[in-house]
Amino acid sequence: MNDESLLLYYFDDGLSDRERHEIEASLAADASLASRYAGLCAQLDAWNGTPTTPLPEQLLHRWHHSIAAAARQERARRRNPVRSVNLPSFAWGAVISAALALVIGIGINRTADESVRPAFEVGVEAGAAPVAVTSRAVFERSMELYLRDARQDLTMLGAQPADDRMLLVRQIIEQNRLFERTAANNDAQDLARVLRAFEPILLRLAADDVAPADAEALRVQLAFELDVMLTKLGRDTSKQATST
Amino acid sequence: MVANLQNLKAPTEADFHQAISACSGRWYSACLKITRDPELAADAVQDALLNAWQKRHQFDNAARLETWIHRIVINAALQRLRKLRPGVLQSLGTEIPDSSNTPHGAHADSVIHASLSAALAGLTDIERVCFVLKHLEEWRLSEIAGELGTNVGAVKQAVFRAVRKLRVDLSTLRSEPA
Repeated sequence: MNDESLLLYYFDDGLSDRERHEIEASLAADASLASRYAGLCAQLDAWNGTPTTPLPEQLLHRWHHSIAAAARQERARRRNPVRSVNLPSFAWGAVISAALALVIGIGINRTADESVRPAFEVGVEAGAAPVAVTSRAVFERSMELYLRDARQDLTMLGAQPADDRMLLVRQIIEQNRLFERTAANNDAQDLARVLRAFEPILLRLAADDVAPADAEALRVQLAFELDVMLTKLGRDTSKQATST
Repeated sequence: MVANLQNLKAPTEADFHQAISACSGRWYSACLKITRDPELAADAVQDALLNAWQKRHQFDNAARLETWIHRIVINAALQRLRKLRPGVLQSLGTEIPDSSNTPHGAHADSVIHASLSAALAGLTDIERVCFVLKHLEEWRLSEIAGELGTNVGAVKQAVFRAVRKLRVDLSTLRSEPA
């Protein structure tokens, strides 16, 4: 009996009843075949226990954010079905985009001489061939997604009801802290400091007593930071592309 | 009737966040095994989540949300792979050269492949996808054939080749002196 039949028997798939019974009878009658089958099972069972690949923290944030943004869009559509733009999605899209842009900008400078160093590895057992993922690639990908919302909604935050605005800013603060921790955990203290610097601005935006004009100024400041970092990022990226 | 109505209750945003926190590592890992590309895997999970969110009213509460999303995630990974390398999953009927018989052979490969996840990289896309779906994701052979647009016999052959190569790679590695 060949290994292929034993394999299908193990999978309990792809065999007729008659074939299954034949294999069962053979295994009962032939000790060496039973031993070979036991070895196959042990190997396949061991492969099943392959550990889960460590998940980069920023991906977890990105997916939570996607669902939160989709839910917000839906709520906004329900509230105002004729309005085509998702107003509430602005705030943390813009802030996180700005934060990510800063992160990338600094990251590019910081790692200019070690641009091929992997930020994390998949399959890190000794001797394994790892799949390297650069932090820059991951951040850039995340940033693209956040920027889409930010560019669309940035100028319209002021039209949001006060309650929604406060709720959003509080969410931003929580998200910003997560990113800050991610940076710190990845031994990127400079990046963590930049993200920390956002918090006072966000707290002022979230305050009950912030005057509309002040809130507008803070939003403009945020927009400005975003544009600056986007410009810098574009310049650095094109520089790198030219140099490689 | 009441039971039917209960089953139609769609999962909430909080349910999704809970599922992401609990299971996204497993989803990502499964996608990574299929695509062998971290960015593709991440995008596949993202696609799947948004797709699941849009279709959440179709979710049957008798099932587990995590399991339902997991299936969507796997399909998203297959879609991403097809998009990246069109036709790669349609060539099941053709015999694929066995890389362990090449001059570089199993010995060199096995030294590199110190774990299953690394050894999977030594398989062709078709072999890897069929093996992952069959053994790790526990799909039926007929389901895999349906998803890949081929027949059960071709899927069996791909799984056989995958297991043969993996056993050679991993057992050779174990027998290597330290």
